[in-house]
Amino acid sequence: MRERRAAKGLSQADLAQRMDVSRQTINSIETGRYTPSLPLAIAIARFFGVTVEEIFHADHS
Amino acid sequence: MQTTAKPSRKYLATPIFGVLMGVVYLVALSVAGNPVSGVLAFAVMAAFSGGLLLARRRSETVRGLLDHRDERISAIDLRATAVTALVMIAVVLVAFVVEIARGQSGWPYSMLGAVGGVTYLAAVIVLRIRG
Repeated sequence: MRERRAAKGLSQADLAQRMDVSRQTINSIETGRYTPSLPLAIAIARFFGVTVEEIFHADHS
Repeated sequence: MQTTAKPSRKYLATPIFGVLMGVVYLVALSVAGNPVSGVLAFAVMAAFSGGLLLARRRSETVRGLLDHRDERISAIDLRATAVTALVMIAVVLVAFVVEIARGQSGWPYSMLGAVGGVTYLAAVIVLRIRG
């Protein structure tokens, strides 16, 4: 997710604002410390124009 | 638990509740003939509520705890509440055992424990029905 965000030229704060979550939450998702809810995962995937599976790998706990 | 970006005043709920509790303390202590303590209690609660609003400007965590817009912070809030409840249950149980070991009835800890147990069962039933 970090690479896709960077490719769009967005900061964590920018993405957080668009997803209506905190910057800490975006950081936690990117570092694998937090698994987003299904609605948030879908919203993030839609934002980047990919599927949930493409952006969140199933082998990540 | 993502929500819309619609402006909300939800973050005011906790500070307002804090101030209202301060008023309740003020009235209760005044009725008990101790208005000075009442004013102090109200001042503490008002300062706490004001501190929350000030902290909200600087801290994402406080902001998330107050407005419940961030799913991760809401989850942290929920888990912290559960930990707090577990500690409180342990304290009530220990206090109850100490009281009955002293030959007392166990009141009010027996009642507090009963309220906790009934509340937990009711919550499980309601949450299970709601899915």
